[in-house]
Amino acid sequence: MTAPDFAISLVYIAYALAVLLTFGAILTWVERKQAAIMSDRIGANRAYVRIPFTQVKLIWLGLFHGMADGLKLLLKEDFKPLAYDKLAYALGPWLAIVPVLLVFAVVPFGGTLDPGRLFPSLAEWFGGRTYPMQIAPIDAGILIVFAFSGITIIGAMLAGWSSANKFSLLGALRAGSQLISYELVMGLTVLGIVLIFGTVNLGTIVERQSGTVLGFLPAWGIVYQPFAAVLFLIAGIAENKRIPFDLPEAESELISGYFTEYSAMKQGVFMLSEFIEIAVIGALFVTLFFGGYNLPWMNDTGFVFPGGHAVPLSHGWVVVLQLLTFLGKVFLLCSFQILVRWTLPRFRWDQLLRFAWKFLLPLAIANLVVTAVALWAQQA
Amino acid sequence: MMVNVLFYVFGAILVLTALGVITARNPVHCALFLVAAFLNSAVIWLLLQAEFLALTLVVVYVGAVMVLWLFVVMMLDVDVEKLRQGFTRYAPLGALIALVVAVQIGLVVHVRKLGLGDTAAAVVDRPADHSNTQELGHLLYTQYLYPFEIAAVILLVAIVAAITLTMRDRPGQKVQDIGKQVAVRAKDRVRLVKMDAEARQ
Amino acid sequence: MIPLSHVLLLSGILFSLAVAGIFINRKNVLLLLMCIELMLLSVNFNFIAFSHHLGDLAGQVFVFFILTVAAAESAIGLAILVVLFRERRSINVEDLDAMRG
Repeated sequence: MTAPDFAISLVYIAYALAVLLTFGAILTWVERKQAAIMSDRIGANRAYVRIPFTQVKLIWLGLFHGMADGLKLLLKEDFKPLAYDKLAYALGPWLAIVPVLLVFAVVPFGGTLDPGRLFPSLAEWFGGRTYPMQIAPIDAGILIVFAFSGITIIGAMLAGWSSANKFSLLGALRAGSQLISYELVMGLTVLGIVLIFGTVNLGTIVERQSGTVLGFLPAWGIVYQPFAAVLFLIAGIAENKRIPFDLPEAESELISGYFTEYSAMKQGVFMLSEFIEIAVIGALFVTLFFGGYNLPWMNDTGFVFPGGHAVPLSHGWVVVLQLLTFLGKVFLLCSFQILVRWTLPRFRWDQLLRFAWKFLLPLAIANLVVTAVALWAQQA
Repeated sequence: MMVNVLFYVFGAILVLTALGVITARNPVHCALFLVAAFLNSAVIWLLLQAEFLALTLVVVYVGAVMVLWLFVVMMLDVDVEKLRQGFTRYAPLGALIALVVAVQIGLVVHVRKLGLGDTAAAVVDRPADHSNTQELGHLLYTQYLYPFEIAAVILLVAIVAAITLTMRDRPGQKVQDIGKQVAVRAKDRVRLVKMDAEARQ
Repeated sequence: MIPLSHVLLLSGILFSLAVAGIFINRKNVLLLLMCIELMLLSVNFNFIAFSHHLGDLAGQVFVFFILTVAAAESAIGLAILVVLFRERRSINVEDLDAMRG
């Protein structure tokens, strides 16, 4: 690894962290505001910043609520239960948030970057090398996603068990069984995409989603695998333990489930990891089913519309457009997840497991079989 | 060189976590150390260029098997102190046995050499776009197809066995069907009969 | 490049630790099963190391099968353990001495 490679990696990591943490912070506000709009309320508008020595209050649509929340969580006293398991209690929040952040390492958030063309003064240093915009362009990207989401299960279970609280323990057991069930569904739906694109490398999967099918439709995963897309999104929301699947932390049954005994920023970490995971699920969905950073009819040199009309773009514009496209799509998906959260009521526990094992799983398997048979028929 | 340093670091952590597994007081801590051991081995397997298996190890063991373990450990109300009786009594014996086994393996590896000196040439540096997953998949679905299918059958048998062992439904057991209870309407249970008032006899 | 003998030694140490674990935790079935998992892990290390050094993927295929069988083993083992605990209220090996179910 040479110095330019290292510099590029650092830039990518900084970008990814900035994007994820910003999404985490912004989504707390979006959730409030969108809920308010959906239920025809004015919504978050209480927190404000007063410009010193004046009576001017900046409300800005309640944007400061997130800041106020963060401050509150940081400054609160950190209560601990009387009897608890120190090791597991301390590990819980870490295991909840770190894997969620790490998953983003394999998600491609842009096309190929040619830093030499972007900054001509540095062209010599980079020596004409190009980099895919992805922190870790490794081969088994999808497996990494599942490996890390497996670790979050352990985090939730540890947090619940170590709190020495019956409600927490129940929440932990619910979290364990729910996450395992829905991870299975998620894995099976992704297999359809793997079959279609013939690779487990997320970068290659996105590359193969550029271009069109049937002359005008963008060649996105959702066009090939509409059922898998729906199943994946359902399983993703369930993985994130949000309504209608928030049984592990159902407040009317278990107080707040496996993190009942956490307070101050430790509890804040659980909340933050939930909001970041919304963005990560959105990013995964975009990568697998919505063409990643691809805009319809756009390639590395500019737009080519179906009529043959072409609009060439410089490399800088292409990079910026790809980054923005990816962020925009992810934001759309996040907003959709919040829409679902404020629309549906909570499942009952038996319904939740039955839904996974007796409805989603057979559908996912059927989808996989149909995809395999269709591909086989096409090749024969 | 970097790879070597990483190997020794993670190898040392692996040995420490294994020690943790066998000496920790609380079964949940044992399971946690086991998780750490699996994660460390996954890293070492990555260094040995077995990416697919390293990630499968994490997916299968950390994501599924260890969750199962944690379930059982958390649900069973185990009296740990009673189970640890004799821990100090057997510890010297255990250490001795471990030492003997380790020394034997070390002797075999180091003194006999196993003809290992001339195999180093077979290690090739893979190009960046080399796909371990694809190669392994190719091998699994051609040369090792029958073992692969047998493995699938073993998994199926394990599922069936685990479920039948732990199912607690006895014949004649009375359970409530919540769905049915919720679906009940008044007209299914109560019949309103219209009748004329009757005069006292 | 990692010397083959060092990987083998690491796996040997891991295996001997697992053996020691079986000796010193001889009353707790849960820990016995965990030690067996450790042993299987150390065996897998050997397979991976040889596969790497001989440039032959067959070793990795075997690890794949071992992982499968080990997962099945621990699933069934834990199921048996749960049933045992339900019957006896104990997972102490010394209490499990009756042939009668």
